[in-house]
Amino acid sequence: MLVKDSFSRFGTVEDHPEVLKIYCYDFTLIPRIFSRFIKRPIIVVQPRSAEDVAEIMRICERHEIPIVPRGAGTSAYGGATPLKSCVVMDFKRMCNFEIRDGELVAQSGAVWIEMERELNRNGEALRVYPTSANVSTVGGWIAQGGYGIGSLRYGSIAENLKWLEIVDFEGIRIVKGEEMRYYVGTFGCLGIITRACIKTRKNEPINCRAVHCSFEEAISMLEGGYHASFKNSKYLSLEGFGAKDVLLICSEKGDGDETGKMMWGRRLIPLRIASKGKRIFPEVILPHENAVKFYEYAERISEGLEVVFAKDCAVFIAALGNGYRNMLKALKIVKIAEKLGGRVYARGMLFSSSYGKDISDYKKRIDPKNLLNPGKMGWNVFSMSIGLLGKLIWTA
Amino acid sequence: MDCIRCGLCNVCPVFRVEKLESVSPRGKIIVSKSIDSRIARDFFKCSVCGLCEVVCPVNLKLTEFWEKKREELFEKKLAPLPIHKKLREMTFRDFNPYGGRQEKRAEWLEFPVEKSRTLYFAGCTASYRLQNMAKASATALKELGIEFTVLGPEEYCCGSPFLRTGQKDIGRFLFEKNIRAWQKAGVEEIITSCPGCYKTISQDYPRFARELGYSFEFEVKHVSMIFSKLAKGKLGFKATYHDPCHLGRHMGIYEEPRDAIRRCGIKLVEMERNREFALCCGAGGGLRSQFKEISIAICEERIREALSTGTDILITSCPFCEYNFTRTGKGRIKVFDLSEIVCMTLFP
Repeated sequence: MLVKDSFSRFGTVEDHPEVLKIYCYDFTLIPRIFSRFIKRPIIVVQPRSAEDVAEIMRICERHEIPIVPRGAGTSAYGGATPLKSCVVMDFKRMCNFEIRDGELVAQSGAVWIEMERELNRNGEALRVYPTSANVSTVGGWIAQGGYGIGSLRYGSIAENLKWLEIVDFEGIRIVKGEEMRYYVGTFGCLGIITRACIKTRKNEPINCRAVHCSFEEAISMLEGGYHASFKNSKYLSLEGFGAKDVLLICSEKGDGDETGKMMWGRRLIPLRIASKGKRIFPEVILPHENAVKFYEYAERISEGLEVVFAKDCAVFIAALGNGYRNMLKALKIVKIAEKLGGRVYARGMLFSSSYGKDISDYKKRIDPKNLLNPGKMGWNVFSMSIGLLGKLIWTA
Repeated sequence: MDCIRCGLCNVCPVFRVEKLESVSPRGKIIVSKSIDSRIARDFFKCSVCGLCEVVCPVNLKLTEFWEKKREELFEKKLAPLPIHKKLREMTFRDFNPYGGRQEKRAEWLEFPVEKSRTLYFAGCTASYRLQNMAKASATALKELGIEFTVLGPEEYCCGSPFLRTGQKDIGRFLFEKNIRAWQKAGVEEIITSCPGCYKTISQDYPRFARELGYSFEFEVKHVSMIFSKLAKGKLGFKATYHDPCHLGRHMGIYEEPRDAIRRCGIKLVEMERNREFALCCGAGGGLRSQFKEISIAICEERIREALSTGTDILITSCPFCEYNFTRTGKGRIKVFDLSEIVCMTLFP
């Protein structure tokens, strides 16, 4: 009751013991033997402003209560999964945004598709957005450091931010330029994103073509494109479509075709192949120069492969079956990608040990009590197990 | 329920208003095995619109799941919620959830009808609240050459509001009242202008008939199926169409109302979310009666979407949708039932 009283002045709180269970999960598939390492939050708070966030953080710091920020909970990396008893800071009520002089300034909980609709009414459009745009939030996708629709022309979300408003134990501030790297892709471990100024583009119509080609040929066809994704025949057949590899190439100029239009129309309906049984989807990022080599390997090992092209890299999404054997396969895919100069798409809870020294040192300085999303930077039982297994696989 | 917890179902219109995971489809599935009165209440914060089912990548049969869960809550005495209970009591007494007198059920009828094998089933909302809709549907059918009868005091609520809120017992009771009346009147074909009635009579009644030992050989049609073939006109104005959930997602009727609208000579402009992805109006599944604020907030969003098409004329084909849009829109948007549009072509 005391905890509820402390937080209820900041907005809606949730402390029903069964309902709190919901906040133990995001899209991450957690093997049963590991489920005991997931902790139920003490309370869920839905702040309405950066000032609320700062005040909540002050209380948490005083009482040494960990904080786990949460957007839509659609990430598959466990970024919003509590590993310690904590306060979950749910940003769904901080969902306002405004478009001013060609600038989009959005609160952390704003949903991508709602901003896109409003921008379109003003002749503007988002440069990049996630395939889960119908539900996912600004803060969640930035904290994951996502790539998505439009990344071929405009790169990752990191390259499309003008500034971020951050709240940490020192207060509220605006960060720009190089300093934003501490907050993009770090899952709220170094500070909580409360607002973002996001770059937009003129709402030119997007024309899409579907081209049957090999992966190697696909890479040579990306010039001048806005968005491109490649699906191999195995992936397409899992989706219930044709049996030939296909590249969807979209641009702000040029012509389109019917299949391209249809594929573009389905861009925000992800994961359809999950209907063919529970799956694991390891996602890795490879530089363009090693993408073909990696593709040859990943194609052999996976049940289907989708590749989303970005400006200077390619994001591979491999479809694997369920179960422990496939988890090992997923790890193998990550290891091969790393060997070829790539990396896992996002770190979250599963790959939390792979941050560089610069980031880790910053964490020690800014959050000495390790209260900001604890366990998501450095080792935890998940990243430790994955690390060990990875080593074993590599040795084998 | 083999949910993968991807969260894509958070397109749920109620969740978008309430912003709490306890009312999201994913959240409700997670807590579905340990329901108390608080969680039970959240299970009714849902218009059973079925959008979650459309976006679910693992094709979970969610609409069925919500209805089954509500039945379970009713059996465990965690439901009906207060207003649903009031409507239930009223319907046991008056055979409709509006407290209208049974002998006045066909008061809207403006011309005599003969005995026929075809029945126009107006439903409770059109009979007692939106009589314009019942009048227009009957007039349009008559003018288009469809012979039909109306049962008036022998027509009873189809049970849709109760079946959608887990109250199977009253659904069964109303089924028996209706089927006996239909058999007595020699009805073979049922035409309705209410998607709730259409879904209930097409999907739930055959199941009840099997359970209770009745034969069910009625041909059931929604008026849009008739108008799509027979309507014609040159109305010439621009309008948008709202897909009622019970007609669209639940029954797969998307093109017939659109064909009818086009045949009336209207320039149809689609809203961004249409057909299976259409946003619910917020009235169904007992939501409007029990959680009016949520229902209005959803409806406001749909009205904004309709107005952004550049027209202020919205056509729908459901009394619940029409009622919610008219009440919430307060003059900002002109709302017509499809049958009223067809009538415009017949009496220009």
